Amino acid sequence: MKKIFLSIMICTNLLLAFNASDLKKVKEDGDCPKCDLSYADLRGIDLTMSDFTDANLTHANLANTLAHKADFSRADLSYATFESSNVKGALFVNATLKNVNFFQARIWKGNFSNADIYKCNFDESALGSAIFKNNNLSNSTFQGTILYKTIFKKNVTGIPK
Amino acid sequence: MKNVILLIIFTVLLQATGFQIEHNFKKALLKAKTQNKEVMMMYSAVWCPECNYMKDVAFKNTEVSKYIQKHFIVISLDIQKDKLPKGFDYVGIPTFFFIDSNTKLIGKIIGGDRADRFLKKLKSIR
Repeated sequence: MKKIFLSIMICTNLLLAFNASDLKKVKEDGDCPKCDLSYADLRGIDLTMSDFTDANLTHANLANTLAHKADFSRADLSYATFESSNVKGALFVNATLKNVNFFQARIWKGNFSNADIYKCNFDESALGSAIFKNNNLSNSTFQGTILYKTIFKKNVTGIPK
Repeated sequence: MKNVILLIIFTVLLQATGFQIEHNFKKALLKAKTQNKEVMMMYSAVWCPECNYMKDVAFKNTEVSKYIQKHFIVISLDIQKDKLPKGFDYVGIPTFFFIDSNTKLIGKIIGGDRADRFLKKLKSIR
């Protein structure tokens, strides 16, 4: 009985890693700076111009979201997915982007300056006019990506191991 | 002299994309009717990188260009400079409206894309 109870507790914790009131705040206001939204399911939500600065969005699911000009500056987005999302003009300045999935995302004019990028998947995404400055891009993939007028400045690049 | 310059610009544009881009809605509709084609109307702006990518890269793709030339009369309107026809709402640019010669909307593509994917979308509309 004790084991079952413990298992339920662990599972509940895993499923609700985010703060429920923070998730409610996002759905109502759109903005949620410094929030804990780890493991949150934000699929398909309109997050246009939302403020997620300093937020914890690790493992968050942002697939198919509309997040034009959303601000993810200094947010931790490790293991998050933005697959097929539309994040035109979004700010990822100083964000932590480890193992983030941007597959087929539209990130025109996105700003990745000083972001900690590691093993991100940018395959088939649109990064036209996006800014990459002071990033290590050596372990990320860019197959079939639109790199029209994309700005790369002071980056470390190389062939992934 | 002015006409010569215009003719040169027109020729360069035609060569660049492979098809002519109209800027007058009524003229484009009339042309579509006489040539038995549909109208592909693009809403764009000079400051929009995605729109410029479509014009500079995707439309210059041979397959895309040929397909557009064969099936559509293209009209490009600047959302800030041109008078936009009524009944064609948009949430962002570029937006492509596909209209038959009776001004009926037959399809819409929101956003630009790589040439191969854009061609697939075009084919799904016709």
